Amino acid sequence: MTSRPFLAIVAARLYAELGAVEFTILAAVLVGMLATPGLVGPLAFCCLAGIASAMAQSPGRHPHLDLCEQSAPLFGRELARAKAFAPCVAAVCTAVAYLGAAQTRGGIGTPFAAPVVLSPVILCTLVALCAAIRTGVPRLLYLGFAIAAGAAAYSLAALAHSVWGELLFCALAAFFAVRQYGEALARYDYI
Amino acid sequence: MPLLRMRDATFTRGEYAAGPITLALSPGDCATMVVASANEAAVAARLACGIVKASTGTVLIGDYDPRVQSVHCKRIAAFVAHEPAMLQETDFPRYVRYRAALWNVDERLALRRAAKLRECVESMHAAFAFPLVGALIGRPQLVVLDRPQPAYAEQIVALLDGLTFVSTHVADGEAAAFARGHGSQRLRA
Repeated sequence: MTSRPFLAIVAARLYAELGAVEFTILAAVLVGMLATPGLVGPLAFCCLAGIASAMAQSPGRHPHLDLCEQSAPLFGRELARAKAFAPCVAAVCTAVAYLGAAQTRGGIGTPFAAPVVLSPVILCTLVALCAAIRTGVPRLLYLGFAIAAGAAAYSLAALAHSVWGELLFCALAAFFAVRQYGEALARYDYI
Repeated sequence: MPLLRMRDATFTRGEYAAGPITLALSPGDCATMVVASANEAAVAARLACGIVKASTGTVLIGDYDPRVQSVHCKRIAAFVAHEPAMLQETDFPRYVRYRAALWNVDERLALRRAAKLRECVESMHAAFAFPLVGALIGRPQLVVLDRPQPAYAEQIVALLDGLTFVSTHVADGEAAAFARGHGSQRLRA
């Protein structure tokens, strides 16, 4: 896949969700300025924002974009990468806004705050994407996985004090989440 | 070589079901498919251009099977949905650039071609015209229309002149408006 369709899909998806992304960033700034220091606040808020961004990619929210993407000559994995990148950008912007706002009050009180927060946010977003193209029990199951992944990353960083362990866990799980999403998109019959 | 071959093709998923459909289209042919419901028409159209894969039976688009070579199929067949796109006239250049990027068509060529095509369907509402124009940017060999608007039948048929196309309908009257001369096939499910 060349970068052109990738960028076109990411830009179109972000443009379609621009209002929601702006609202989430503003909310992150507000919460970041008011929340007490600690890792729970930013992780919980930003992971939930990431999950919400991923769910906003559910088929049917922007049927016109869905149809263009599904009828375009792109492989499932290519489509998955592009479609996964858009909510990740939104989630990362939210997390950066939160951390930036928290910095005005002295930060969140955790060393290496940016990688510690950003990696589980991206992981949660990617796992939640698998829920976005499913319905019923499988959707709930993937949402549960997304929350569990965020909780596991938090445990590694805050309880086990292993930043490298958290980063490694997030990288591995995110890789499998994107693969799974690509496989699911390749098999997906969009009606 | 037929451009589209459907042999007892069916699709079943929940409330969405279609078929069995048997159809063969050679380059330059056109066909109208009359089915019982809107859902069936939507599924039949998506089956014919490889967006959904047949549950049973065979669909071949230019000798490619959408189940294993969907990317090749999508280079040959273009799909025009029934639902109007939520687009304004001012969205046209952005929309054309987006479609051109997805089909990897040169942007300037796509804009020029799209402007020319838009002129041909000038009186058509943007919500219906843009998807039709967008589908033709990638120079498809086969165009699949899901329940096209009968009010625009004349303009659509004129725009698709010389191209192979198949359209799905839920009423005979609508299908008749899209039948192109004596060479068109009329199917009823």
